[in-house]
Amino acid sequence: MYDFAYHKPKSVADAAAAVKKASDGKLMSGGMTLIPTLKQRLAHPSDVVDLAGVSDLVGIKVDATGVTIGAMTKHADVASSADVARAIPALAALAGGIGDRQVRNRGTIGGSVANNDPAADYPAALVALGATVTTNERKIAAEDFFKGMFETALKDGEIVTSVSFPTATKAAYMKFPNPASRYAMVGVFVAQTASGPRVAVTGAGPAVFRVKAMEEALAKSWSADAVANVKVPAEGLNSDIHASAEYRAHLVTVMAKRAVAAAG
Amino acid sequence: MEFKGEYRIAAPQQKVWEALNDPVILQACIPGCETLEKTADNELKAQVRMRIGPVSAKFGGKVTLSDIDAPNGYRISGEGQGGPAGFAKGGAVVTLRTDGAETILNYVADAQVGGKIAQVGARLIDGTAKKLADEFFGKFAEVVGTPEVVEQSSVAAATSASAPSVPPTDFAKRGLQHWMVIGAGALILIVAWLSMR
Amino acid sequence: MSNVSKIGDRVHRKEDRRFLTGTGRYVDDLQLSRCTHAHFLRSPHAHARIKGIDTSKAAASAGVVAVFTGKDTADAKVGGLICGWVVKDKHGVPHKAPGHPAIALDTVRHVGDTVAMVIADTAANARDAADKIEVDYEVLPAIVDLTKALSAGAPQVHSDVPGNLCYDWELGDKAAVDAAFAKAAHVTKIDVVNNRLIPNAMEPRAAAAEYDRGTGNYTLHTTSQNPHVTRLVLSAFVLGIPEHKLRVIAPDVGGGFGSKIFIYAEETLCVWAAGKVGRSIKWTADRSESFMTDAHGRDHVTHAEIAMDKDGKFTGFRIDTIANMGAYLSTFATAVPTYLYGTLLAGQYTTPAIHVNVRAAFTHTTPVDAYRGAGRPEATYLVESIVSKAAREIGVDPAELRKRNFIAPTAFPYQTPVALTYDSGNYVPIIDEAMKLSDYAGFGARQSAAKAKGKLRGIGISSYIEACGLAPSAVVGSLGAGVGQWESAQLRFNPTGNVQVLTGSHSHGQGHETTFAQIVSDKLGVPMDQIEVVHGDTSQVPFGMGTYGSRSLAVGGSAIMKAADKIIAKGKKIAAHLMEAAEADIVFENGTFKVSGTDKNVPLAQAVFAAYVPHNYPIDKVEPGMDENAFYDPSNFTYPSGTQICEVEIDPDTGVVEIVHFVAVDDFGNIVNPMVVEGQVHGGIAQGVGQALMEAAAYDNATGQLLSGSYMDYTMPRADDLPSFTLGYKTTPCPHNPLGVKGCGEAGAIAAPAAVMNAVRDALAQVGAQDRIEMPATPQRVWAAINAR
Repeated sequence: MYDFAYHKPKSVADAAAAVKKASDGKLMSGGMTLIPTLKQRLAHPSDVVDLAGVSDLVGIKVDATGVTIGAMTKHADVASSADVARAIPALAALAGGIGDRQVRNRGTIGGSVANNDPAADYPAALVALGATVTTNERKIAAEDFFKGMFETALKDGEIVTSVSFPTATKAAYMKFPNPASRYAMVGVFVAQTASGPRVAVTGAGPAVFRVKAMEEALAKSWSADAVANVKVPAEGLNSDIHASAEYRAHLVTVMAKRAVAAAG
Repeated sequence: MEFKGEYRIAAPQQKVWEALNDPVILQACIPGCETLEKTADNELKAQVRMRIGPVSAKFGGKVTLSDIDAPNGYRISGEGQGGPAGFAKGGAVVTLRTDGAETILNYVADAQVGGKIAQVGARLIDGTAKKLADEFFGKFAEVVGTPEVVEQSSVAAATSASAPSVPPTDFAKRGLQHWMVIGAGALILIVAWLSMR
Repeated sequence: MSNVSKIGDRVHRKEDRRFLTGTGRYVDDLQLSRCTHAHFLRSPHAHARIKGIDTSKAAASAGVVAVFTGKDTADAKVGGLICGWVVKDKHGVPHKAPGHPAIALDTVRHVGDTVAMVIADTAANARDAADKIEVDYEVLPAIVDLTKALSAGAPQVHSDVPGNLCYDWELGDKAAVDAAFAKAAHVTKIDVVNNRLIPNAMEPRAAAAEYDRGTGNYTLHTTSQNPHVTRLVLSAFVLGIPEHKLRVIAPDVGGGFGSKIFIYAEETLCVWAAGKVGRSIKWTADRSESFMTDAHGRDHVTHAEIAMDKDGKFTGFRIDTIANMGAYLSTFATAVPTYLYGTLLAGQYTTPAIHVNVRAAFTHTTPVDAYRGAGRPEATYLVESIVSKAAREIGVDPAELRKRNFIAPTAFPYQTPVALTYDSGNYVPIIDEAMKLSDYAGFGARQSAAKAKGKLRGIGISSYIEACGLAPSAVVGSLGAGVGQWESAQLRFNPTGNVQVLTGSHSHGQGHETTFAQIVSDKLGVPMDQIEVVHGDTSQVPFGMGTYGSRSLAVGGSAIMKAADKIIAKGKKIAAHLMEAAEADIVFENGTFKVSGTDKNVPLAQAVFAAYVPHNYPIDKVEPGMDENAFYDPSNFTYPSGTQICEVEIDPDTGVVEIVHFVAVDDFGNIVNPMVVEGQVHGGIAQGVGQALMEAAAYDNATGQLLSGSYMDYTMPRADDLPSFTLGYKTTPCPHNPLGVKGCGEAGAIAAPAAVMNAVRDALAQVGAQDRIEMPATPQRVWAAINAR
């Protein structure tokens, strides 16, 4: 790890100011990606602005329309929230399946969505449920938020403050974990939303994407069989030593089928 | 990893060729390129700051042009050091041919990474290369002409009317355009470098 | 007496309290005065010439004490690292032993090869400085694909090893095998890959070296499985420090699995540099370094054929193996694919003619050496895979085919056609018990039920034999070993009656502190809490050979038994004097000397006290003190055997293999602590399952880069990948050691890969894909096998 200046502001405004003032500042939430990167000396920020002191960013609010989760809320807290489990059980289940126990007790939803790892779980939930990301400057629809591999709509110094999920009548997430890292090799979140069925896939491509053909099939008939024969092209999907693009494409269909079945 | 592709550029071949040899244009197209200077007739030196997710690093490389067959193509190759993160190297054979008022650009490129980035970032190497190639392509097209995709198996599959489904977000579409290379070998190097999370 | 334990008791491990409460003391916990820290600059290339190294910026960097390159160690005449086992090829010519400098001189030969050593006041400063070293590499083509390493035109790893061939070794009667094949009723052929594994000990390797300028003494604290061997090699071969001036201490060590047997560059350099800079030096590998530089395991490709008569009796077995040595020869690398592999290819069977040819190849990869099982897992995987394949081909149940070919219990000692003489065993009751525990008979119904829900169920058998309890010194010496393989023990009683058990074995997870104490408690009647097992310090314990090859109990435990016998013999003389009886009339029972046929007695503790306070003592017959030393050299290897039966269910939609049931029935001879044995078997099976389904060191064939260089990509087996294991035992005591024990440390890892893969193949046979799968049978590979057209 290289030296850097460490800041632990108490408010979002102070955090934004600190990161803007830095020559090459980096925001840190749970640090589950940043800390290993720093330890590997693969980044050399001038300043690290730790959001752990911003207590406003922690908490879960549930009302009739949906669930709003503060950016610094840990995965374990989402997973164990009775309110979330009642409102959007698939979301609680997804949070409970992120990484391992240690990661769930450090990692946060804000960090996960801002980092936008191609194999992260949360982006699938955000896109499938039609969530809204709130920052210190604006509100961004999930689909406009995730731009590409590790890329989001966030501007330099912009801070995610919360994520709001509308409820869905049906929803489920099925993940095929990478055997080594247990990140999503393929994760499929399906939801029956107010605007119709949505199918969002993480892990398979450079970033989360929707599968319109599956959504159309589900609009006609909400059943596992409806998606069972919808194939996703392998072109453009990720390929590594664990899974070829073809295998990932195949798993998208399998996981989608299982997710629909689980959603009931 | 190896990439190949074909691209139609709405500009005369001579203009495309000149662009491929113009450090100013290349620098403008290479994501994060801070300096690109000609050090000899067929050699350039590049400094690139690349950011992918939490990874941010300065990358220094040397680019060599060879097998020059103006204005039909060349081989561009390069290698660069990313300090403790390792190294990257690669090359591309770029060929141009005239088709009416336009130019068809073909390339076959490969890139290799080594050291820490290969050991801990293997899963992201391909994706990063695609992403950077895409970014480079977009810019190169902007500068040189109006691009029009003609032949890519991936796109053919993904956009064919008969295809039952497509990863359809804007990003995914862009992600599919992974062929374009790197007119500048420096980029190839960098591509790899980016493969960290 | 309170808490006396008997051999066979399930005693909780004495050491666990310390480990579980974070009070273990590991190398990195040491606080040495004026300590400096080392960092090693590693090659990012698999193969490159070093055209130049500029260390000037590093040397001027903050806190730097010294920077050393290969030139410095060469100038200082630091010896190269050695391979301690000479294997002679077909023609009697010793293996090729290319130089292995601790720091690369002009060429790097694998990713992670040591290029420079930086010593600074802090670890961070050392690392900062290492980043400033400028190395001008000329990158050269690399060979990492084992199947191509011996081909003409392959990049050469060492200029003095033509064709990358380390040796071309054979064992067995080729003519007899050819004759058997000429008459065979059926021949089964197989090609297998034994995947390369990375050891992944929980504690990374570490060294802390001290140099005392006053005395000229060196001390190395290090993560070693055999500190005396480390001292011997460093003294006699590498550094030239006299043995009595070098103390090696291996304190608590967090796992080794073989990888900490060897003498590596980093530990060596820390000792040398401590003398050079006159300060203590500490180094602890980070996990990336462990992946790149701990000796890897396995890595064979093999073609084999087995001949059978019309009744399915094996008549001949021929094996052609290429074994990967990596870029340099690690300490015992040459022995693993020869004497620990070729000699085990008879398995549990009476195959009368066997011939094995092993070619060892250099590649631009991390050196390969012994890893849990070392050679024997490779042999078992091959034998048990081809036997199950043969059974499928000739339409005989695989259990039945094994039984037809088992060595009969009356045939022991049994001379195999590949050098070993099995001492004992009884294989049919073992496989019968395993079949019972796995409800083998009911498998068909379970397979049908699985099929009805779209799953592919398979069952696999692996009947293994291993030669362990390494080893009779004269035998291994005749085979090329550079060391003997006896073990030492010392029982040092204190005047107050408690006792230190000093052993040359080393515990790095095996539970010696409990098991060895149990032996002493049982044998001498001393309460467990009065016994302290001491190991790992060359200045405390007698010279010993350390722990590997499932040898600690069979060899080290036997040495303890011999020392205990000496204690009893001496105690009898003292007791006879104290009780005014004839020595011949003294018996020793439950920790007490008694005069036979009377109620007169002297507890051992009283005899011990008398020995240290010899006021009333037979000083004319016996020396004072109660401190006995013993060395034990076994007369043969021990031969644990067993059968594992694994049942899997494959999800054809995803390729995921789930282990639904796993049975292991072993003959370990007598068992001292069943709980410790279970732990060893569980861990071994987990590692074997890891090899079968998950683990693989992946190199990029074009560049030689290690792609599985972190836990992001190297899959370790986890608790939720495994079922609860069902274990059973059948015991035939080892006839040639005083405990009747055989060893249990490696069995699980030796047998499990074949059990799992035979089950996977059995499941895949339902879709005709049984010959399309190699280890590790990852979901992707299984899915691809099912869907290959």
